[in-house]
Amino acid sequence: MEFAWSPEQDAYRQTLKDTVAELLPDNWTTEIAPHSYGSKEQIAFSKSFCAEMANRGLLVQQWPAEYGGGDGDAWQQWILAEEMMWVGEPRGPQYMNVNWIGPAIMRHGSPEQKAEHLSRIAGGQVIWCQGFSEPGGGSDLAGMKTKAERQADGAYLVNGSKIWTSYSPSADYCFLLARTGEQRKAISIFLIPMSLPGIEIQTYPGLVGKGHLNQVFFTDMVVPESMRMGEEGQAWEIITYALRFERVSVARFHIGRKVLDRAVVQLQREGRFNDSAVRVRAGRIVALLEAGRLLSYYVIDQRAKQGSDDVNGNIARVSVSAASQELQAFIMDYTPDALTGGDYVLHEFFRANLSSTIAAGAYEIQLNLIAQGALNLPRSA
Amino acid sequence: MDFDLSDEQLLLVSSLQSLFHPYGEIPAEGKGATSYFAADLQRKLVQGGFFDTARQAGNLEAALVVMEAARLPVAVEAGASALVAPNLMETPPEGPIALVSGDLAKAQRMLSVAQTALVDVGDDVVALPIDPDAVEPVETMLAAPYGRFRQPPDLSNGRRLGAAAVGKLRQWSRVALAAECAGAAQSAVEFTLDYVRERKAFGQPIGSFQAVQHRLAQCHQIMRGLHYSALHAAWTGEPVQADLAATYAQMHIQKLVFDLHQFNGAIGLTTEYKLHYWTFRLRSLQPEAGGGDAAALAVADKLWGAAA
Repeated sequence: MEFAWSPEQDAYRQTLKDTVAELLPDNWTTEIAPHSYGSKEQIAFSKSFCAEMANRGLLVQQWPAEYGGGDGDAWQQWILAEEMMWVGEPRGPQYMNVNWIGPAIMRHGSPEQKAEHLSRIAGGQVIWCQGFSEPGGGSDLAGMKTKAERQADGAYLVNGSKIWTSYSPSADYCFLLARTGEQRKAISIFLIPMSLPGIEIQTYPGLVGKGHLNQVFFTDMVVPESMRMGEEGQAWEIITYALRFERVSVARFHIGRKVLDRAVVQLQREGRFNDSAVRVRAGRIVALLEAGRLLSYYVIDQRAKQGSDDVNGNIARVSVSAASQELQAFIMDYTPDALTGGDYVLHEFFRANLSSTIAAGAYEIQLNLIAQGALNLPRSA
Repeated sequence: MDFDLSDEQLLLVSSLQSLFHPYGEIPAEGKGATSYFAADLQRKLVQGGFFDTARQAGNLEAALVVMEAARLPVAVEAGASALVAPNLMETPPEGPIALVSGDLAKAQRMLSVAQTALVDVGDDVVALPIDPDAVEPVETMLAAPYGRFRQPPDLSNGRRLGAAAVGKLRQWSRVALAAECAGAAQSAVEFTLDYVRERKAFGQPIGSFQAVQHRLAQCHQIMRGLHYSALHAAWTGEPVQADLAATYAQMHIQKLVFDLHQFNGAIGLTTEYKLHYWTFRLRSLQPEAGGGDAAALAVADKLWGAAA
């Protein structure tokens, strides 16, 4: 056991820092980043930014070379996630493509699907949304009602609705889950272009930033069989694999340190960081964030060695969620002006954390998975 | 970065577990006590060279010694001997070692069994040989031996280690307490899990209730955080990492002890049951090295400068 970065990892991180410094425009922090990474402004920027990252071999460095990557490892992917998060995630929603949509297609996609999607993702100019949650069913994924009914010609007729579908108004594709049978887990995955006839999108105003809260309606949408990924009913297996990457994919503890530093600098400037109570709170939050960092790094170490992780991803996510909640409280207690026109970095962190304990498996689902996967406790009654 | 133990580290842990195997239960003479100090095991740790681990292998390995020892229901003094003294002195003093600070008229952890006290006097550290007759044992519900000086100790009888030793003493005391918390928490969580899998209420194991599962899942996550925070602090040797590990450990003791006792119910309050050997050892560590708030303040001082 040891905790050192290798010289190669340090050099890679420095390359990323230098590249970001070169590629982010002067108006990044004033006109683009404050809109949040789901906004049309940031999504539009992400297409030029990610394309240039791809040109330099930095977008999917950890992917296998046959899919446009550099045969890197999970640590490189994580260092990329940290450096992107540090500056406000200029990849926009494309972080999702790199982290789990691409890897899921690599593992389960047909040769045609790999050919269609992986080079586009690796090129940095395609936006995906994920069609998982439904009205009346978020955490209970197996209870979904959207149906994909097989037609005589082999195509599927899809009817139903997905909700909270972040980025869908700007998305080129949707990673769609739909029911293809009556059994609880008879769910299949479809990789559909958002240009298919029969799709309508309604956007909801909300607290979590532009572009995040949408409802997508599918009405008699015809989906060719070739767009189904994997076998009918294989969705559960595929998303179990893919969601492992999603659960520990955003370096929230890393940006948390930046947010806390900025809050402290503001308090010092205002002469309000001499109070021991405030200082203790700040010190405790660093301890929480750094424990979350170590538990996340443990997961990355697992991925680097085994290709995937297990219940430790849930443990890391719970840890980082606890830290983030405390930091959110700190912002509200001591730098509340962040929510009324103050520091936008604090504001964005606060806002992003409104949904971070709901998305990618609610906090309570994570606890369930720890109870079963790590503690070997009987399923709850 | 590598989170797996190396072959050498695994061998160390394996050796410790072999040594500790007979100490998984409290001996008959200690049954029902709030704590039981295993003097013979303390000697075996010295004879086996385990307190030389920091010098021979490294501080992370020494932290593993402290963690493994803390997983036992019996008490031994490992933190000061394995981590603090080797980082403070060329020739560590005779153990067990009590880490003494604050009001010397009050009871101090490990003092009743100590051969040496490392006394934090603010601007210096005094390595003070302890005359057993000068210390009276103190009864306590805390699961560690406590003692009080019968008379204020004459610090001139000790050896002054110099001002530079103060920072090191505080740093390694925090690493040691974090490692001890990690080991004790691990055993307390595992013990409780065994209980809730078996104990039935309302016709089913209480471990099947989500209200129980969620809190134990949180305890497990905290325990894992304790484990890596402590080992990371030992490995880096950076003072702020020691403060962070101690902060993380001490800020979570209340939740751990509350939840774990809650799920064991009233039997957990009997001293014939084993839970308190770990939970009340955690309690004994809660105020050590100044306590969690002092550790958090030290984090703030190091990261952002002292208060004006």
